[in-house]
Amino acid sequence: MIRPDAPVLLEIRDLHARVEDKEILKGVNLTIRAGEVHAVMGRNGSGKSTLSKVLAGHPAYTVTGGSVHYRGENLLDLDPEKRARIGVFLGFQYPVEIPGVSNLEFLRVATNARRTEQGHEELDTFAFEDLVRERLKVVQMDPAFLDRSVNEGFSGGEKKRNEILQMALLEPLVAILDETDSGLDIDALRIVAAGVNQLATAENATLLITHYQRLLDAITPDYVHVMAAGRILRTGGKELALELEERGYDWVDQELAALAGEVA
Amino acid sequence: MSNAQAVGDLVSQPYKYGFVTDIETEKIAKGLSEDVVRLISSKKDEPSFLLDFRLRAYRQWLQMQEPDWARLGYPQIDYQDIIYYAAPKRQEKKASLDEVDPKLLETFDKLGIPLSEQKRLSNVAVDAVFDSVSIATTYKEKLAEHGVIFCSISEAVKEHPELIERYLGTVVPSNDNYFSALNSAVFSDGSFVFIPKGVECPMELSTYFRINSGDTGQFERTLIVAEEGASVSYLEGCTAPMFDTNQLHAAVVELVALDDASIKYSTVQNWYAGDENGVGGIYNFVTKRGQCRGERSKISWTQVETGSSITWKYPSCVLQGADSVGEFYSVALTNNCQQADTGTKMIHVGPRTRSTIVSKGISAGRSANSYRGLVQIGPKAAGAKNYSQCDSMLIGDQAAANTYPYIRSQQPQAAVEHEASTCRISEDQLFYLQSRGIGFEEAVSMMVSGFCRDVFNQLPMEFAAEADKLLALKLEGSVG
Amino acid sequence: MTASLSAPTSRAAWLERWLSQLPEPSGPLAAVQQRGRQALSQLPVPSSRVEEWRFTDLALLQDLPLTQAAGTSATAAASSDAVGLCLQLDGSTDPLAGVALPAGVQLLSESELAQGLGHTLAATGCHDHWPVELNHASAGRVLALRVSSRCKLRLELHSSVSTGLLPLRVLLVLEEKAELELCQKLEAHGSGLTSLVLEAHLARGARLDHGLVASGCSDAALLAHLAIEQEPESHVALTSVTAGWGLARLEPRLVQVDGQATSTLRGLQLVGGRQIADTHSHVLFAGPEGQLDQLHKAVAAGQGRSVFNGAVQVPRAAQRTNAAQLSRNLLLSDRARIDTKPELEIVADDVKCAHGATVSSLQTDELFYLQSRGIDAEQASGLLKRAFCEEVLRDLPAVARRWCPIEQWQLEDA
Repeated sequence: MIRPDAPVLLEIRDLHARVEDKEILKGVNLTIRAGEVHAVMGRNGSGKSTLSKVLAGHPAYTVTGGSVHYRGENLLDLDPEKRARIGVFLGFQYPVEIPGVSNLEFLRVATNARRTEQGHEELDTFAFEDLVRERLKVVQMDPAFLDRSVNEGFSGGEKKRNEILQMALLEPLVAILDETDSGLDIDALRIVAAGVNQLATAENATLLITHYQRLLDAITPDYVHVMAAGRILRTGGKELALELEERGYDWVDQELAALAGEVA
Repeated sequence: MSNAQAVGDLVSQPYKYGFVTDIETEKIAKGLSEDVVRLISSKKDEPSFLLDFRLRAYRQWLQMQEPDWARLGYPQIDYQDIIYYAAPKRQEKKASLDEVDPKLLETFDKLGIPLSEQKRLSNVAVDAVFDSVSIATTYKEKLAEHGVIFCSISEAVKEHPELIERYLGTVVPSNDNYFSALNSAVFSDGSFVFIPKGVECPMELSTYFRINSGDTGQFERTLIVAEEGASVSYLEGCTAPMFDTNQLHAAVVELVALDDASIKYSTVQNWYAGDENGVGGIYNFVTKRGQCRGERSKISWTQVETGSSITWKYPSCVLQGADSVGEFYSVALTNNCQQADTGTKMIHVGPRTRSTIVSKGISAGRSANSYRGLVQIGPKAAGAKNYSQCDSMLIGDQAAANTYPYIRSQQPQAAVEHEASTCRISEDQLFYLQSRGIGFEEAVSMMVSGFCRDVFNQLPMEFAAEADKLLALKLEGSVG
Repeated sequence: MTASLSAPTSRAAWLERWLSQLPEPSGPLAAVQQRGRQALSQLPVPSSRVEEWRFTDLALLQDLPLTQAAGTSATAAASSDAVGLCLQLDGSTDPLAGVALPAGVQLLSESELAQGLGHTLAATGCHDHWPVELNHASAGRVLALRVSSRCKLRLELHSSVSTGLLPLRVLLVLEEKAELELCQKLEAHGSGLTSLVLEAHLARGARLDHGLVASGCSDAALLAHLAIEQEPESHVALTSVTAGWGLARLEPRLVQVDGQATSTLRGLQLVGGRQIADTHSHVLFAGPEGQLDQLHKAVAAGQGRSVFNGAVQVPRAAQRTNAAQLSRNLLLSDRARIDTKPELEIVADDVKCAHGATVSSLQTDELFYLQSRGIDAEQASGLLKRAFCEEVLRDLPAVARRWCPIEQWQLEDA
């Protein structure tokens, strides 16, 4: 839902970043307002996953230039946990398994960290159980998953549902979903997409990072951005995604080449 | 890994129990001789069978060699430079707690083990041992109503000499090894527990060991006997002040379980570990063994080892009775220059005996953490089963994790299975937790306690939280 | 294990006697012989008092005839073709006499020999090792070959002894990307000792596929040391099978000098009667990103004793090592015994190391399953035992696989 007067949640300006010695982001610009759903599309290696990692504060990525502001605050100054607590959420493409750490306890500690930041009271074990059981419905997850270790032995679909469950509990204002559709069968994709749609409000925003149109059939974006070589090459409405689907990514190369020509 | 340093810093935190109680102490002169053994015995006013036991052990000790197979590195111990008996003055007879030196009560208060009637733990009976002597035992009367004997071993020697004579040294013979011989010669105090036939001990029993003197060795001796159908859960805790010299701690613990009896023995060991350069700390050479003499008896060891400069300790089970069960659950955390060589021996003698071993080693700093275990299936142990799991977690690239599981089987109708793995706290796991709003320290601590969960689950409820807290304490510190 | 002269060790009289009866050192290995004899006169005979030899006391060697075996019976004629060599090793005659070397294979020169001999033994920590010194003291010949860069060779080595001592010494140098398939057969038909010391050095990218099949008899002993040095990107697959020896001690010792190499170890040892088989393997990762996949299997029947000790060392330099070791043991008789001990030493945090060990009899549910399909108990247990062995045998090079008549092996029951 596009409202030009809605408050800006995330403002990315000329963002450059590298991992080890390789520059991957080469000047990304993006503004996200409350109520909007954005989709960033692009080929492998275009830098879209890097963008999500940089926004969440992964220590392997170094920002070399530009800025990111979240509700006016410099996001890049903050530790990853602080970003999460103030409402920036990253749904991982490959959620990691953490043997031994119970999923329920993990969810409770995370939820309470967010609540404390918001000035709410921490939930005790019982109150949290009630909350989590209610939120499980968003992703149609079996409560048995709560008793297992974080993501350990979960199937691909279960891991992604667990991600959306965390999103439902943490209630972020900006949710970045990195390739949430990868490795999902049709049913799981439908459940995950329904969850994301259900959680979208006029106050928050969603940034979908994806390869394929099929996720966008289920979650309609307001804006589609095409990313290549570390930059956003073109921005349009949802029809841009359909165009990509039809024409493939080859034209992106041509456009890149043209761009290189201009620069030269 | 940029976080490796930070994780390393996390496991280095100041020792909280390093204070010294300023109290007048009666000590005997340094050194060990037959006269010293006689002196200890006479100070404790012991019957002759015990003096004979001590002297025999002393003579055996003289003939023995200090073991070196664990390849632990420490300077030669000068056994003549140790005080073998130290006791706070004014201890005399403590008919009631009122007569115990308030400084001592205060010390145990500070250690989180309040002894006074108002403050003491409601469901745990405590025997408090300060240097060489037991200074107080709580809930004695209540336990006595159930026929349970819980007192210091010195007291038991006086009050129940027949039980001591019958059981002492029958599980760990004095000449079992170098340190057990030394202990048998000079042991000062420790706890005695006797659970009569058919009695389920109504509360947790606990002994808290405190070394206070800087030049004194501690040689405690614990004996627990559970008669037919009896059961008990027992916990020991240990701390010591920070000295830049090393103190020797050579304890012996013997457990006897008769038919259908069960003994659960838990340890939270937090002796002073020395500083970050390995100066000071306790040398912890301990012999712990339980004998499942009876059919269907069960002995379960749970240990959380976080302290000591050197740990040499293999709580073991001799599974004699048919269908008896032995368990060993261990968490050993080493940091800085600590060395731990610990594990268990499960000796399957009787048919259908079963054992389980779960060992979790965490090594950080420049420490060395070894699991050494033996599973032995004797020719008569048809139907025996063992399952062992040994996991190591490495923090930093200078810590050592070693695994030496010995397996010997002479019985085809038995099954032994051993699994071992190593892991570390990966940057991705840390980032994942952090990206959900969980702080770095808490994330590390969650993962470490997750790694140890199978062991913590075995601790009595009252102490599981304590162990978790202790580990969290060890992990506390500033984020690097 | 070093002995100093000031503290004389208990030198066994039988060994003294044996040493004194050896012919004067001569030939290309004279210096090695000299050193070996000196070492033996100082080192204590390994006994159960030493951890490394806890279960395998070599004192029993004194009952064996240890005079050098006179002649051996040829089990295959020496031959060569474009890519293959088939040789007889008898410890005394020249195995290469009358054999044309295929292209890409050379004999090491005298100076190369002087330089190369013992290098890998030292790198794998085998110096002052009693059984190695025994070989040094007595071996009069060495088969020392180099496989040139990017060349491929198949090599078959046959040794068969009826009685006495057979000392075998092999040195193999594989240049960059050289590939060698080595099938080695050791047989003993009577009382005696077969002593094998093999050194192999693999340069970058080289590949060694070594199948060793050693079948002896109950009054024969085998002491075999396989010392292998691997440079990065090299591959070693060592599959060994021992059966029938009164005493067999096998020590595969590998070092990945700069890591980044792949080692695959497969071992199968069978004991029955009053036999002892003991494998002490040792793998050292001296650099990062090394790989080890090890499976050791043992079957113990009768009053046989099987020992396995699998040491894996991962020092600080060996980040990102991936090592897996499994020891699986079948105990078939209540008078047999299995001792197994994985031994893992790690000082590196970013590694994957796992090991496991199992000791049991045949699974009753598996037996039952077969029986419920109409197979009688004896046949069923035979099938399962063969399946157990097959997991190792299938990794032998095809030639060596044919030397394992598993159908004829008596995997006796209690």
